[in-house]
Amino acid sequence: MMFRTRLLAGFGVVVLVPLAVFGLGIRREMSGRLAAEYERRVGALAGVIRADVTRQSDGIAARLAALKGALAADNRFRVAAVQGGDRAYVLDYAGDAMRLAGLDYLQVLDDEGRVLSSGHFRNEYDRPAPIPPLSGPALVRGRTAEGPFLALVRADSLRLPGRRFVLVGGTRVDSLFLARLAPDPELAVSVVLPSDSVTPDSTGQIVAEVTLPYVESAEVPHAEPARIVVTHSESLLAALRSSVNLWFAVAVLVTALVAVLIAGWLSTRISRPVTQMEHRAALGDLARQVTHDIKNGLAPLRHVFRHLTQVAQGEPEKLPGVFAERQGTVDSSLGYLETLATNYARLYPQANERPTDVNAVVREALRHSAGADHAELRTELPDGLPPVRADALALRRVIENLLGNALDSLEGRPGTVTVATERAGAVVRLSVGDTGRGMTKSEIDRAFDDFYTTKAGGTGLGLSIVRRLVLDAGGALRVESEPGKGSKFIVELPAA
Amino acid sequence: MPAHRGVLSLAVLLASACAHAARTPLAPAAGATPGCLMVPGSATRPPVITAALTDSVDPTHAAVPRNDAERLVFRHLYETLVRFDCEGRAVPALAESWTSSEGGRRWAFTLRADAQFWDGAPVTARDVVVGKGGVGYTLTPIDARVVGVWLARGSDDVPAFLADPALAVTKPAPGGDWPIGTGRYWVTGANTTSQEIRALSSAGDTLVFRQAAASDPRDLLDAGVDLLVTRDRPVLDYAATQPAFAVVELPWDRIYVLATVERPTMRLDGLEQAVRSEARRPQGGSFWWEELQACGPPPVAVPPAASPGALPPPPPPRRIAYVRGDPTGRDLAARIAALGGGVAAGLAPADFAKSLRAGTGAGYVLALPRAVPEPCRAARDLLPPWPVSVAPLVETRARAVVRRAVSRWGMDGDGTVHLAPQ
Repeated sequence: MMFRTRLLAGFGVVVLVPLAVFGLGIRREMSGRLAAEYERRVGALAGVIRADVTRQSDGIAARLAALKGALAADNRFRVAAVQGGDRAYVLDYAGDAMRLAGLDYLQVLDDEGRVLSSGHFRNEYDRPAPIPPLSGPALVRGRTAEGPFLALVRADSLRLPGRRFVLVGGTRVDSLFLARLAPDPELAVSVVLPSDSVTPDSTGQIVAEVTLPYVESAEVPHAEPARIVVTHSESLLAALRSSVNLWFAVAVLVTALVAVLIAGWLSTRISRPVTQMEHRAALGDLARQVTHDIKNGLAPLRHVFRHLTQVAQGEPEKLPGVFAERQGTVDSSLGYLETLATNYARLYPQANERPTDVNAVVREALRHSAGADHAELRTELPDGLPPVRADALALRRVIENLLGNALDSLEGRPGTVTVATERAGAVVRLSVGDTGRGMTKSEIDRAFDDFYTTKAGGTGLGLSIVRRLVLDAGGALRVESEPGKGSKFIVELPAA
Repeated sequence: MPAHRGVLSLAVLLASACAHAARTPLAPAAGATPGCLMVPGSATRPPVITAALTDSVDPTHAAVPRNDAERLVFRHLYETLVRFDCEGRAVPALAESWTSSEGGRRWAFTLRADAQFWDGAPVTARDVVVGKGGVGYTLTPIDARVVGVWLARGSDDVPAFLADPALAVTKPAPGGDWPIGTGRYWVTGANTTSQEIRALSSAGDTLVFRQAAASDPRDLLDAGVDLLVTRDRPVLDYAATQPAFAVVELPWDRIYVLATVERPTMRLDGLEQAVRSEARRPQGGSFWWEELQACGPPPVAVPPAASPGALPPPPPPRRIAYVRGDPTGRDLAARIAALGGGVAAGLAPADFAKSLRAGTGAGYVLALPRAVPEPCRAARDLLPPWPVSVAPLVETRARAVVRRAVSRWGMDGDGTVHLAPQ
């Protein structure tokens, strides 16, 4: 995971999570408080409606009582209703009385429940009419010539000689009536009748009810409960929730944007020193490798000059001959160093892979090796070995490194170092074995790590370089070792 | 075609000569029949007389009235050859005299010498007959001032259809104004407002028709109108309390019927209790719409055209339609709705006529004249074009409220009120 990603993740945990918790908490708290307020308002309005219905019912009852008194005192009506005749007066009676009493619904019913006179629908005479309970207010379905309507009514009765009459009067329950009950536009009042197949959708709404008896028609004389339903739309609450969600999303986006900018700035400021450290470390590694390679190139020269010095001191007359003999070594080492310098000048040595005779490279390396007095160098270089496709210089560096390590592993004690080549199928196998101290399992595991060394003053880069060079050539490298008995490094290179 | 026209003229002249040879002169009633004067009034007509109108007046209906107000107005503007007084006697109108021959099959009506249109053009026999005619008779000009009426069946009396307002003589006025008539009073659009119609006469007097539709007619009585024809019971009750007015019964001239596709199953008796105007059960055994065999087969109903692929229309609502503004029609429709479980729907006159033609309602409460001079034309004009079941409901009549001792008002045989000649 990139440093910047880790920084962003950490920023999200530290900032966004508390922000989310804060936003959700506000949303929940706001919803709860508003819902409670709505419930209080709906309940209060239901109480007001209950009181208003009672007040209207009492007013209707008072007007019916007055009408009842006037009707009982009306001799013309008495004669017409009880003895018959003056039919037009009876038919028009309820219409005139209804208008005078300020009612919307008035019927005078005979003892069979038939309309004797209807104020709101004059021509409904002789039709059966619904009779509400005499005990209190009720809703009834009234009719006019233009269609039905709902009315809040009271009923009263009077008795004229030998006959009983029922007065049913009330006010129209229409949209205007309901609007008067709910002055607050956020509150809605509706009437739900028992016969209504579709009830108001209470989903997402806060509801309270007032129940009244309802008489559908004369054919259904018993009253069933009707409900005046008060609802408070949660649209405002939903709008607030949406608003909170919107601003919360805006806050998250802004925070995320700020987090990205801050993380980018911080990662830049923090990662710059790390990169510099890495660069310095890489330069140190390169310097060690260069040092190591230069030492390998200088070692033969040091041996040649030490030899020449010994000859010049002890046998000066042989000096020209020895010089001539060792001049090739000097030239070879100088060439090696020049090639090395050229490669490093290009920062990355480009492999000059070509068919290479492994045995020739081994002999070249052995010739330049200083060897050791206590060590016996053995070679097993069979003829007819196929060439491998490799950079000869890189292969020589491999062999010199392995040879140097083998001699060093003898630690000054007498021993044998064996360099052998062989063909093993499609590969050419090169092995450098010694009879030195050998390596433990943990030492084998770390033997090819950078900077790992068991030698005092070692760079720990030799085997690391060997492994890289072998891998660059498409080969493989492994080691067989046993503590106290020696080690054997095996390089396998594909035949050309 | 000159030759044909000459032969035809010769035939007409010969027929006329023959008719004159066997002519039986009849004595037309002279002036107003005293028994048809509603209230004794002043013989001297005041310069301005005011009559109240309880319905709207549409000049495009001239000269065939559709309501009481149009009857009153058109009666003073347009003339037929003759009229019939309240006792059924023919009285001169556009024709001053007439004779009959061939057992009452051929009649000749001589136009009044001073008969002229409002614009001063003299009225000719051709003006009387052009575009006119009907089942069982033919109108033809005998000469410039004599109109021949040939009947399919002889009649001893002057044919009643000659007083049909549809035979009134008019000619179109430029600019869609009131049609130009021949009556004593004339009117133009310049004299017409939404509140009143001012009819002028060449004698210099004015007859003002004042609209009462938008106000209480009792207010107009208090404001001094001289005549009010109404069926409104409270107005009549009020007028009866005013000694300055006389309330005169007019004939039972209107019958309300229920027009439906199928004969109604409910009992429709006793409906006179449902209306607040003066009403009674329909009298008489037969009605004019039951005698339309001579008019040819009834028209075949044409259902409303449905667009191809459209869903079938929903079933029509059980709507009993009546003409808005007609309280008697409203009361009857309400009672029928109460009995049958439908609803009453008041429609504007134009909408009512459109709905009646289409037959989209469950039933229609129609106000028809009790008697018509020509049933075939009345059926074509008043009944729906689909096979209809007509059930009589109630008969009604209007009453005239007449200011006493102001002017003399007469009454035609069909109940039309008019200013009596001086």
